[in-house]
Amino acid sequence: MKRTILEHLASILFVAMAFALVLGYLKIKEQEAEEARTSLVGPYLALNIDFGNPMHVAMFREALNQFHPEDPAANDSILQAINDFRMLQFTNAAYKTGGEERGLSWTKATRLAWMYLQFIVVYALVMVLTYVGAQSLAVYRFIKMKQHGTSYLASFVESLRDRRSRKGGFPISTLLFLLLKALLKGVAYTILFAPAYVIAYSFKTRIDTDSLLFMIVLGVVSNGLLINYANKFYAFLAAESRRGYVETAMVKNLGSSYAWHVPGGLRYRAILQPATMFPSHVFRHIYMNARHQYLPALKEHASFLISGLIIIEMALNIQGHLGYELLQNILYRRYEVVLAILLAIFLVVKATEILVDVWTHNEARRYENA
Amino acid sequence: MIATKLGEFYRDKDKRWLSIWVAGLLALWIWDLVFLNAPALARIEAAFVNTLYAGALVVFMSLVFGWAAGVGLHFLDEARNRSPYIVLTFFLNVIRSIPQIVGILIGYVVITFFIEQEALQNQYAQLFWMSFVISLFVFLEVVDLVRDRIRYFAASDFYPAMLCCGIRESRIVNIEVLWKNSRAHLIHKLIAIFGSAIFLQCSIDFIISVGLSTDVSSTNFPVTLGSLLAKMDSKQDILAIGSLFGDLSVFGRLLTEHLQGVSVAVVIVFSLLCIYQISNGFVKRNSL
Repeated sequence: MKRTILEHLASILFVAMAFALVLGYLKIKEQEAEEARTSLVGPYLALNIDFGNPMHVAMFREALNQFHPEDPAANDSILQAINDFRMLQFTNAAYKTGGEERGLSWTKATRLAWMYLQFIVVYALVMVLTYVGAQSLAVYRFIKMKQHGTSYLASFVESLRDRRSRKGGFPISTLLFLLLKALLKGVAYTILFAPAYVIAYSFKTRIDTDSLLFMIVLGVVSNGLLINYANKFYAFLAAESRRGYVETAMVKNLGSSYAWHVPGGLRYRAILQPATMFPSHVFRHIYMNARHQYLPALKEHASFLISGLIIIEMALNIQGHLGYELLQNILYRRYEVVLAILLAIFLVVKATEILVDVWTHNEARRYENA
Repeated sequence: MIATKLGEFYRDKDKRWLSIWVAGLLALWIWDLVFLNAPALARIEAAFVNTLYAGALVVFMSLVFGWAAGVGLHFLDEARNRSPYIVLTFFLNVIRSIPQIVGILIGYVVITFFIEQEALQNQYAQLFWMSFVISLFVFLEVVDLVRDRIRYFAASDFYPAMLCCGIRESRIVNIEVLWKNSRAHLIHKLIAIFGSAIFLQCSIDFIISVGLSTDVSSTNFPVTLGSLLAKMDSKQDILAIGSLFGDLSVFGRLLTEHLQGVSVAVVIVFSLLCIYQISNGFVKRNSL
């Protein structure tokens, strides 16, 4: 365990050093570019001349031609360079900072720290919700599979066929209900797979999409996060259910019925609280073993979740959030701030990885001792 | 005979969803052909082709990088001197800890720098480098799979038995383990990566077109589904979906008057859903 933590700390140190090097390099490059820009025009700009005043400019041109009559083209080039430099002051995005100072000042660092804290809170909430949500979805799908349930649409088509061949089938009301359920499932799938910005723009005219609550909900349901991790957990459940110990447990009379609300079966609460339910049901053991295998996937989950949150903040231009701030600072090339934010985000992922590693290690030790 | 063949085809979930994907896109294209203006349709077609092209490139590069890194790690792990293995693992873990979108954003900033310097002007070269950047952050999934498969076979009799027969280890790993016995696993992983690539590419292009529009925009990046969705008229179309909640009669107008944005959104979401289902179906059919 110590080795794993040391590895994490080493990678934090490595990334911090790499960022420091990049920052140093960019600073030198910026300084060189600034020097190159001002070396020609600098001495003239230091003179008490208003280059916005045509009369001053005309006098300056005459003075230049008096001092350097041998090369009037070079004099024109100097004037052109001065004009370009002045224009740059008005047009270059790097200078249009909205009154903000360049560099990472104390005020800016405090503002960023507040955004960072907010980001961590949202991240933690979405993490917990998606962890629980993915497990619940996977458990529901697994139980449905064990109940040999078919899709609503397939049941609808089959029943329609039965009715046509007069073999029976469901009554019309049930058929309509099946169709409605299939439709709702389709809508749910659409939302679960839709990128956050598609959902947000669809709802923008109806609700306040800049609110923290909306961001959390969007973080949980969109970008395919919930459905993909539910699928991963389901794969572990399905693989675990095929193991030999499950059959042995069933032979030894451990509960194995997956029907809802029958003696020895499952209750709906199992979907939300699978860990605490039914010690005498084989499903609990399948779940516990699947969960143990799923834990390391939380590291990958963390990285994907942060991607999702940043996509939401950037794509929706939610001001006052870390993702938006990152984008703005990239735009205005304030590299100190960009690298500070990137390092902070990297630290969140690393902190999650360390926590997951400690958790997995403790779980493994508990099973080994048992 | 044809009905039986068709029945068999549709019993396989992956094939069924592949045909649903193609049919759905075709239906949408025909609808757009009738109701959408020609320039907008041309933009959607170009964006779709570019997105698919970039996605395919990501898949190819991830396979190459992942295979090479996975096999390389295996041999380095077995070597007497373990320092290269530790160093390579360390770097791969650093990449793993960088959220994909952040890494890709940094990559795009570098690509923009080269575009601004006029060192990268060809549209296909730009798409190639965009795909390269994305594949750098998704290829680790292939590395993990390759390592898992080699470990799985190394633990069975299969591997040492072949070594005893005098077969070169590189052949056992590359041909016997990965090519002959892990192809289905690799294809499944590549399908999932294709989905991730489309999602990441659309998201990064959308972000860049919305947020960095003064420096980087659709004028210097090839049009993709993400950047097309970020255009003002597409965004207006998506915003119009919101009015459905108060007035269902808007639905007809949505399908005829707000087609550009709605079509792009449908293509993205529908493709992601179908790729997910194809991937799940593939797992089921091959019992992975």
